[in-house]
Order: sequence, then structure tokens, then C-alpha cells
Amino acid sequence: MISIKNLHASIGEKEILRGINLEVKAGEVHAIMGPNGSGKSTLSAVLAGNENYEITEGSVDYIGEDLLELSTEERARKGIFLAFQYPIEIPGVSNMNFLRTAINETREAKGEEPMAAKEFLARVKEKSALVELDASLLKRYVNEGFSGGEKKRNEIFQMAMLDPKLAILDETDSGLDIDALKIVSHGVNKLKSKDNATIVITHYQRLLDHIVPDFVHVLYKGRIVKSGGKELALELEEKGYDWIKEEVNA
Amino acid sequence: MTTIIANNKVSEFVSSIANENLPCWEKFSESRKKAKEILTQLDFPTTRNEYWKYSRVTKIARETYHFKNLSEEKIDLDEVRIPDLETYEIVFINGFISLVNSNLPSSDELEIVAFSDSKSHDYDSCFSKNLDSITNIFSALNTAYFTDGVLIKAKGEFAKPIHIIHYSTGENIISQPRNMFVSTTNSSLTILKSSINNNTNKFFQNSVNEFFLEKNSKLNFYVIQDYKKGMNVMTTNVVNQERDSVFSAYNYTIKGDWIRNNTNVFVNGKNCETNLFGAYQPTGSEHIDNHTIVDHLAAHCESNEHYKGTIADKATGVFNGKVFVRKDSQKINAFQSNNNVLLSDEATMNSKPELEIYADDVKCSHGSTSGQLDDEAVFYLQSRGLSKKSATALLIGAFLGEVVEKIEIPELKEKVLELYGME
Repeated sequence: MISIKNLHASIGEKEILRGINLEVKAGEVHAIMGPNGSGKSTLSAVLAGNENYEITEGSVDYIGEDLLELSTEERARKGIFLAFQYPIEIPGVSNMNFLRTAINETREAKGEEPMAAKEFLARVKEKSALVELDASLLKRYVNEGFSGGEKKRNEIFQMAMLDPKLAILDETDSGLDIDALKIVSHGVNKLKSKDNATIVITHYQRLLDHIVPDFVHVLYKGRIVKSGGKELALELEEKGYDWIKEEVNA
Repeated sequence: MTTIIANNKVSEFVSSIANENLPCWEKFSESRKKAKEILTQLDFPTTRNEYWKYSRVTKIARETYHFKNLSEEKIDLDEVRIPDLETYEIVFINGFISLVNSNLPSSDELEIVAFSDSKSHDYDSCFSKNLDSITNIFSALNTAYFTDGVLIKAKGEFAKPIHIIHYSTGENIISQPRNMFVSTTNSSLTILKSSINNNTNKFFQNSVNEFFLEKNSKLNFYVIQDYKKGMNVMTTNVVNQERDSVFSAYNYTIKGDWIRNNTNVFVNGKNCETNLFGAYQPTGSEHIDNHTIVDHLAAHCESNEHYKGTIADKATGVFNGKVFVRKDSQKINAFQSNNNVLLSDEATMNSKPELEIYADDVKCSHGSTSGQLDDEAVFYLQSRGLSKKSATALLIGAFLGEVVEKIEIPELKEKVLELYGME
């Protein structure tokens, strides 16, 4: 589904990604772990098309297309979804209005008719139940005054509404208590299929108890320095990141 | 750069309209005479004058103008009508009342007297009260040469809005409508003002509206400014509030080449409420200027002011809000805020909130912000599939929407949201 080759990215003069190679196929869940500052969030931002980062080298093929040539909205319309680590509060824009616009612009780009109001509402009802998002929050302004947990659930709700091919979850577990973590993970698991893929970016192993990865990659200093199965996450949980750093620096 | 206009400019400006046939308006002849005298002493302001610092009037002052009375022509009002909202309509064409296009109420609750009516009225003596015609040449110009006007006086709870529609057409035409609105004790009145212009070029509209709120009355004044090319617009609103009254003004500017709005509120009685809301969104090379004064002359009053604008391209926005709290006006709550979003590097916003407080037991705040759209929010919306254009439109709508939400008439709110492109 996505094939990242030798990807380098900088912000200002600072190079953050220094040659990422990653291959994700449909139906797979990949976890990307790593210590703080290793470039995890940069990778997710770059894949979503954040223009603050400059791509200096490498290529990304997404379902046969050059991803780096696409604008942020084109990527979204072609099925890339980024669940933000820090979802943005947008006062004055209601959640529902925002989602309806997002869905209908995506459909319009594909040459489809706008979604009928009835279908939209039915979908909202079904998908919000999936992450136990209160109906009153849907009418409120996007993320404004939401608790940390509500914001993360709202991200997964949006993901469910937009039905992406490739979901990138950036530190979705941060700021969640164990109950919210279970709800969010449940939502993500329900959305999994053989046709879509998930990249889970996380610092801690605990999320991976709930969203079980097929592959685990360790990112350090802007490169993937180790890959393995889900047992690698457990090893990291037990031993921390120092042994990886030592291996790399040796 | 400031331009100095020679004194004879005013006499030249006035001479082109002074000889035209205007009705004599017997009962206002004293006021007119006085205003004409003032005109001989006043000069067109330059940008060295603080009140006009950011708005050059040179391009208005250097033209010559004529009146053009087309009040018998039938015109189409559909574009300014509010769907599903019943209103009465008073139509002015080039500043002259057009009865053929108007739809006036016949009600004991409401009195409408044309200024041309020679019968004297109890509010005749209030004409020009507190109007800044001594210092403001454009107010003096209107008083000296106003084209037409009415006095509208509510005597009860008058729910149906009175829609005043100004239709403008022609080249080098000056239009100087003048109206008085009175809400008598315990009454309420809603005025809505809209404009239509067609085939205008170097058209100058210089209107004055005077408001008198008696005890315990309520007056709402909604203004929609949506002009096509070719208009320079100067409006002056003077409001006089007696005790326990509530005045609310809502000024929504959609488009206009050059607009200057002056709203001056004199709060003369205790326990009054004053609300001033406004939104503007100049684009291209438009120039939109809002000047307001709220003068708290009595104690135990509240005023709320909130103006918001987005400025795009090479456009300019100006906001100047002055709040006075006089020496014995204790227990005043006065809030004033002006927020702007600059959408281009070449856009300009001049914002100046001012407070002058001479009382010691008051709660006042004022603030002004000018910033840019939040890039992170634009990215967030784009990452969900919205184009940059609609993400920006959604954020602008959310920003300006706050002051549009203040509208108390749902049908009108819909219309204004639509005009701003934010349904």
C-alpha cells in the first residue's frame, strides 16, 4: 500500500528524518516506536503533507502514486488519515459541519454526489457509538473545550467517518487513561480490514496490548534501526531504549 | 503623505449642489442656515486630523456632484429582501423618498412623518441634537443639503421591522438621506437598512441617522452594506438614550469600495444598555472604516462593543472605538473589543480602541488583536480532505460568525451568513 524509500526530511536547517525505509501492505498493522525526538511525529506529519517540513531526498509510493506530489487534501481524499497527537481546537466550526464538508469534498473530488443528510446522520450515529462519543460533543465546536480523552475519541470518530485506507495514529495513547485507551483501541480494531492498513506511532508498549501489531519498528535518530514482530515491543517495554541506542552508536 | 486641501475646495464642492432645487424644509430652515455657515468655516479634513488619520477623503472632495431625483421610477427590491421575513419598506432613490416603491404601515403604534410635511412635530427641536456638525464637515453637509427624510416614531411594541432601502444610481451623484428614529417610552422598534446600487460611478452617499430612545424603550438597528463598484459611502449615526433603554446596532459590511461609518452614542440616562456589533471583510483595494463613540453620561449602565474583520489582498480596515465614562457615571460596565485577521501580507488594519474614564467605580475593558489564520487549523482541516480554500473559508466564517450570531432575527441571520458565504 505504501512504500517509503530513503526518506529524508528537514525543518529549517535541521534534518530530522535521515533515510526511512518502510513497506506497509494492506491488512497490516505496523507499530513505530522510539525514544523522544527520534522523528516519529515528523514521519506522520510528512506523510500527511505538512508543509513545514522539507523533503530533501527519497520517495514515497502510495498505491502506485507519488505521494510527495500530492497536496494534504488530495492525500486525505485518497485515503490517508492522520490521527493527531494534539488535535486542534477550532472555535466557531461545529464538528458536524466540518465532517459533512470533509466527506462531501472528498466525494466531489471522486466525482460522486454529496452524501444525503439522512445517510450522514445514520453514519454519525453508528460511528460515534463505536468510540462512545457523546452526541452533545458532535454539535459542539471542533475539539473546543474537549478533555484529552474526548479529543482522541473524536479523532477515531473522524477516522471512522472518513473510512481511510491508511490510518496513521500519532501517539493516540498519550493523555489517555486506561478506560479511554480501551475504547479508542476497540474503535481502531473494529475499523481494521484486509483492505486497509494502520501505522501506530507510540512511545509505550501499552497501546500495543490492545492494538496488536504485525510488525514493530524502532526509530532512532531519523532511521529505522530495528524491526521485528510484536515481541520486540515487549522487549523494549522491559529493557527500555538504551540497548538500542548503544547498538546503534557502537 | 498628507494632502492639504485649499479652503476654497469646500465652497467649490458646495457650489455645485447649492443651486440645485431642494425642497425648502421650512421647519428645519434654521438648522440648515447654521450648517451652511459652518461649511464656510470648515475644511475637508486631512490625515493630520486624528479622526481622519486613516481615511483620506480627497477622492470624494475633489469631485463635483449633482442631485438626481428618480423617485418615480419603479425598481426591483428582491436582492435585498429577507426570505421569509415580513417587513415594511421605505425606499429612497438617490436620497429621495420613493413612495411608489415603498410599503408603509398604517398603524396606531407607528407614526411616520416625511420631513416634507409642513406640520410641526414634537421632535423637530431634536433635529441635529448631538450631531457632530460643528466639527464634522460631512455631518454639516448633510444638515445643510439633505435630500429627503422621514421621522419614524414607535409608540408600542412594534415587532415588524422597518426596512429602509437606499437605491443609488448614476455618475457624480450625491445622495444625502436623513432620518430620525424615535422609540417612545416602553416601546420597541427594529430598523433594517440595506442598499442597492446599479451603474454607479463616483457616487457619494452621505447619510445621517438620528436615534432617540425614550425611557424603557428598545431600538435595534441592523445595517447591511453590500455595494457594487462606484460608491463612496459615509454614514453618521447619532444615538441619544434615556434611562432604562436598550440600543443595539449591528453593522455588517459585505462589500464596498470606500466606506466610513461613524456611530456616536450618548447614554444620558441610568440603567441603559448599549450594544455595538460589526463585521467587515474588505478585499481587493477596498477601504472599510468604523468609528464609534460611546459616551457614558449617566451611572449604572452597560455597553458591549465587538467588531471583527478579515482583511484580504491590498485592502484596508480601520477601527476606532472610543468609550467615555464621565465623572459621576459610576457603576459602568463597558467592554470593547476589536479582532482582525489579516489574510495577506499587503493587507492593512488600523485599530485603535480608546477608553477615557473619569469615574472611579467602573468596570471597563478594551482590547484589539490583529493576527493571521491559524496555519495548524488549516492543516488539520486539509488533512480531513477540505481544500485549502474551503478550510480558509470555514475558519473565516467561524471568526466573523461570532458577531453575526448576535442577530436576533433568525431569517436575517440566515441572510447575513449567506452574504458572507458561511451557510
